[in-house]
Amino acid sequence: MKKNILVCLLLLVAAATNQTLAFCGFYVARAEAQLFNKTSQVILVRNGENTTVTMSSDFKGNVSEFAMVIPVPVVLKRNDIKVVDRRIFDLLDAYSGPRLVEYTDASPCQRDYYEEMAVVKTTKARSNREAAPTTEDSERDNYKVAVVARYTVGEYDIQILNALQSDGLARWLNDHGYKVPERAAEMLEPYIKGNMKFFVVKVNLEEQKSSGANLLRPIQITFTSQKFMLPIRLGMANGEGMQDMIIYTFTQRGRVEPVNYRSLRMPTDRNVPEFVKDNFGTFYTSLYKQNLRKEGNDNIFLEYAWDLSGQNQMKCDPCASEPPLYSEIREAGVDWLQTGGRNGYIGSLFFTRMHVSYDRSNFPQDLIFQETPDRTNFQCRYVLNHPAPYYEDCDAWKSYQEEKVIRRKKELLELAALTGWDVTRYSEYPYMFKGYEAPRPPDDRKGHVEPKQFDPQQPAIPEKKPAVPQPSRLPEDPVAQLNPAQSIFEIEQDDFLIENPVQNRGDNSIPWGWVGVVAITGLAVYTAGRTKS
Amino acid sequence: MLKETTSHALNRFNSDPRHYQLLFLLLFLITGLFWLDWHLQPLQIPFTFLTAILTQWLAIRAFKIPLNSLKSAIITSFSLCLLFRSDSLHVIVLAAFLSIAFKFVFRIQNRHFINPANAGICCTILLTGDGWISPGQWGSGQIWLLLIGILGWIIVSKAARIGLAAGFLAGYIGGLFVRMILWQDWPLDALTHVFTSGSLLLFSFFMITDPASTPIRKEMRILWSILVGLLAFYLQAFHWVNGAPIWALFMLSPLIPIMNNGKEILHRLKGISLCTFLPLTNRFQKQP
Repeated sequence: MKKNILVCLLLLVAAATNQTLAFCGFYVARAEAQLFNKTSQVILVRNGENTTVTMSSDFKGNVSEFAMVIPVPVVLKRNDIKVVDRRIFDLLDAYSGPRLVEYTDASPCQRDYYEEMAVVKTTKARSNREAAPTTEDSERDNYKVAVVARYTVGEYDIQILNALQSDGLARWLNDHGYKVPERAAEMLEPYIKGNMKFFVVKVNLEEQKSSGANLLRPIQITFTSQKFMLPIRLGMANGEGMQDMIIYTFTQRGRVEPVNYRSLRMPTDRNVPEFVKDNFGTFYTSLYKQNLRKEGNDNIFLEYAWDLSGQNQMKCDPCASEPPLYSEIREAGVDWLQTGGRNGYIGSLFFTRMHVSYDRSNFPQDLIFQETPDRTNFQCRYVLNHPAPYYEDCDAWKSYQEEKVIRRKKELLELAALTGWDVTRYSEYPYMFKGYEAPRPPDDRKGHVEPKQFDPQQPAIPEKKPAVPQPSRLPEDPVAQLNPAQSIFEIEQDDFLIENPVQNRGDNSIPWGWVGVVAITGLAVYTAGRTKS
Repeated sequence: MLKETTSHALNRFNSDPRHYQLLFLLLFLITGLFWLDWHLQPLQIPFTFLTAILTQWLAIRAFKIPLNSLKSAIITSFSLCLLFRSDSLHVIVLAAFLSIAFKFVFRIQNRHFINPANAGICCTILLTGDGWISPGQWGSGQIWLLLIGILGWIIVSKAARIGLAAGFLAGYIGGLFVRMILWQDWPLDALTHVFTSGSLLLFSFFMITDPASTPIRKEMRILWSILVGLLAFYLQAFHWVNGAPIWALFMLSPLIPIMNNGKEILHRLKGISLCTFLPLTNRFQKQP
């Protein structure tokens, strides 16, 4: 059989990751309003023992009450704290997101037919936030809390606390107008004993007004510490079920991987049906959920890893958007590169993107990372194969058609395996080369946002959305009346949010640990008995 | 006839604990590759085995040791494939070569005292900086406690090295228990998460228990393994060393010949001022 020459037609649609953002600390409300944090994005830059953490936040809930607490290993100086442009997150997200690549089969009659075009699409993270008024902090004493430093950086008022007691710290926060979630108090204790300081942030309304920005910008902190970790556990104190986090890292040597959790690659280089193109965001979120179901909820997924060194000419292949420039990498906190060279900078640089969905039961420890010397590139890439564009009368055409039907059936099976979709709905697809209209994918109804064109020239403008729960939008059920925020949460269901967390392998109904302990004890008794006799 | 052959084969299999070890390590490697989706350098497995077996075979020819010792080389290769990661083939080959070669270089009283795979991995990482250990590759789960725990138990009870695994775990987990649970008030599942880590269990049942590279006397063995556990805890908790047990084992390997030959060393030291302590230490040295 004649082999078809696949002609490369690139169409990249970076995943409609459709993220809402939150810091990795926990929010404390100053009134009774419910607050949520769902998907956060973090940039980690690690060079020796120097770490720069940039946290991007989307603040959910009553936005007049923004505040957050982050454990940090050292007391930060004024120069160690910066406020950066949110665009860096949008750029990195667009650059490293999962991508769809499109090929068109060559005509089976003409082997040298060739055509090329490229379209790049990404979605932008939506954001939605307002600022909170500041409060005066007056008395302390007997909280056993010392305010070590106090700065105003950008629109933020920042205090660095050294606490000796979690009760005292919780009381201090409560008495200074923060509402600490009940479970947070006990979660504070390990950090206090671990000699961590607390980075407490609230918004300085005057600064925020005078700066004219209506967004809360990401905060960037730099410190020197052996600890290469992200304190996620505080964020679970008021988290609603599972939370998502995208972690971008820049390092000199190579890929970053978690030390205390399993790291997995997302499925990549799979052939998928053509109609995935119109629903790529939904496709990827379904794929991600299916992968969580399959591999367990206690894993961290690798979505992208690429050598961005100055001398590397191929900064992405294919590119979902422009690779980050020197100025952007510099702004993210990378300080070891020199300007110059053909790519704008010289020096070694490796970029990793990880995706984690965490909750209290599956992530009992903070995330600890290590930098490996692994410089293998990796990307989430899915492939479309269009049929040859026009009919030609030749012998090869018939066998090509038969082969194409088989290939398309395989694509459907692949789609079912990847996403868990019911592909019998697409049973006509293998036979219709033109004019096939696929039914909507199953979870489109959950408020999937269509991919939008990403224009790097335009700053990201957040969608206008009512920040305060609108009672009129609530469905009329008892739960909604009890807890309005809960329902809002459901209505604004993020694509990535796992509404029914699947039990992971180690967490199922059989208590394997106890079976193990019993079995080992049994074996011990048996061995001891035999040795004696 | 069939019954006889089977029982003969079973007896032969049973005669050497290493057979069990080979079988289980193979099982773990298959689990890692096909279930846990490890991404090894594609040629890591063939190159590790080839290098290790070749080196061992050369040593067999040179030192006139029994051909039987090839089994140890295969076990070492399995350990390397399970633990060591590198992108470059020459680093993989170097690790396999060093692992086997160390057995014949560092010998005292015709015994090697370092754990071959462990020393090979540590030295390769220190020398080239181009390899790494992935402590997270197994994840954590009670299933590992069951699987690795039971298979490991069979091995260590066959080789009579239960004290080693128990001592190490007691030192390491004990240290973490005191620090994390008693002192820092972490919830208990944070510690369970550490304890059920596949890498940790594999290390405690399959690496530290290597009979050839542990102190000969039982009480010394237990003391030594507790020391390894405590050092691993110290490195992990206070210096954030990833894969701390492996480094701790490497650092404390030189202690083995001292523990084995304590009496002789003390004897030689008699002339020196240390002799004041001898009455005390002599009592400790008495054979049971």
